[in-house]
Amino acid sequence: MLTGFTTGDGGAPRTLWHMAQHLSTTGLPGSGDGADAVVLDAVTRSFGPVLAVDRLSLAVERGKTLALLGPNGAGKTTTISMLLGLTRPDSGSISVFGTPPGVAAARGMVGAMLQDGGMMPGVQVNELLSMTRRLYPAPLGLDEVVEVAQLRGIERRRVDRLSGGQSQRLRLAMALIGDPQLLILDEPTAAMDVETRRGFWHAMQGFTERGRTILFSTHYLDEADVAADRVVMMARGRVVADGTPSDIKDSVGLRVIRCALGAPGVTGLDALPGVVSATARGDRVELRCRDTDIALRALLAARPDAHDIEVSGVALEDAFIAITDGIAA
Amino acid sequence: MLAYLSLELRRSLRDRRYLLLVVGWPVAAYLLFSTVFGSTADASEGLAPTVEIMVAMATFGAMGGVLMASGPRLAIDRQIGWVRQLRLTPLSPTRILAARLVAAMALSLPAIVLTFVTAAAVKGVTLPLWEWPALALLIAAGCLPFAAMGVLVGTIADGDGAQGLTMVLYLVLAALGGLWMPVQILPSALRTVANTLPSYHLAQLGWHVARGTGPALGDGLVLLAWFAGAALLAVAASRRLTLRAA
Repeated sequence: MLTGFTTGDGGAPRTLWHMAQHLSTTGLPGSGDGADAVVLDAVTRSFGPVLAVDRLSLAVERGKTLALLGPNGAGKTTTISMLLGLTRPDSGSISVFGTPPGVAAARGMVGAMLQDGGMMPGVQVNELLSMTRRLYPAPLGLDEVVEVAQLRGIERRRVDRLSGGQSQRLRLAMALIGDPQLLILDEPTAAMDVETRRGFWHAMQGFTERGRTILFSTHYLDEADVAADRVVMMARGRVVADGTPSDIKDSVGLRVIRCALGAPGVTGLDALPGVVSATARGDRVELRCRDTDIALRALLAARPDAHDIEVSGVALEDAFIAITDGIAA
Repeated sequence: MLAYLSLELRRSLRDRRYLLLVVGWPVAAYLLFSTVFGSTADASEGLAPTVEIMVAMATFGAMGGVLMASGPRLAIDRQIGWVRQLRLTPLSPTRILAARLVAAMALSLPAIVLTFVTAAAVKGVTLPLWEWPALALLIAAGCLPFAAMGVLVGTIADGDGAQGLTMVLYLVLAALGGLWMPVQILPSALRTVANTLPSYHLAQLGWHVARGTGPALGDGLVLLAWFAGAALLAVAASRRLTLRAA
């Protein structure tokens, strides 16, 4: 979503001064002071015969948290790699804070957790962090990073002798230490236990409250639901859904009504208001709904024989499968 | 960049197995060779065997230290993703490379110094006072081509492959370069090869200084040529790698 040059109610700006005023509030896409931290325009990248990213266009507004969701091979990691300047797109353009990717990183504006990011073997956690800290123009304090990344107590441990979860926390610390404007996280909570994961998202919240932008990929769909302002689903290198977590849920029916019917048959049930689909499961019927309140009223009116009614939620996981199945079909 | 350089050095000096290999080996070999051949005076070279072997073993150890610190380490750092991680920081690739080269070169010094100390303490080798540091720094500086060769190996091979390749390179350069035995005893075909090797020319530089004749320009030029060749290949290899990077 490019912010664009919209004039709104005030009409077209008439003078240069007006125009400047206008730009300073709405921002100009692609410019350094724009409202978008990241802009991808028709970006394509393939590896041999495999099209990893297919004409991907996406803009991430500053100060927002965006989740990139998709199955393995959807192109999430390739997209992230291109945003960081580690991989070049075959075609299309990418800008990060109005500069080519890699430039923003070289200025210390971007921090990232990579899935395959390794740490210098043979050195201690605090040695690595204080060295990295000195590479940035305006870094966070060492103590602060150790605290936020939950590394307290293992500062003197060697980085090649950390557990999976500890390594992941160290990757977070390395991403945060430069105090970047944009944080890019590739499946950040993989290998974290539940406790650590909670602490992680809490730290991320503190980060966005300071006006920073986060782009993360995940296959923990509940995380996208809880942590993101906006969810972009990718499949086969393309965006297949884009919206708030509740938009995504609404589009596929994330709540379910299950009931038994006096007479069998689901004919006509999927046409009821609020219902997305209806399936018979044994002697019970399952209705996937975008709005169970409306659907339930309609169901009771249409089928007074409905009984043993249950209303429950469906995991975002199922929504995800429904959408990507739709693409595959 | 200094912060990164000093951490690179620190981690190498902490690696005991590495130190044992690159320091222990030349010192042990020095003691063996100088004891066995110590009495056979080599009039043609005009150097006492204990001094000649000292320079050869210091060169041998220095070369090993530099090759091991550049090649296998770079390969492993690439494999585990440290190179990728470091590329995300504001440290530019040129500076990363420079720091790695300097760190590798500095790791020639432990072997040189310990071989010298052993020679002086055990075999009673004496040189004019200024010659010790001059010789040490000359050998260390002359390791530049080996640092570039290491980077080349570390760029084209992965962890275990780089380890093996470096070891083969190390032994071939040492044996054919005349560090273990005079090149005069090699068959003439091999001698022609030996005369082109950087290890041979680095040892020649050292022997010249030990003899008090000063380093020869020709030897220096050969070393520079090896450096330039290896560096160009390493740059080309890493370009290719970046282009097909995932």
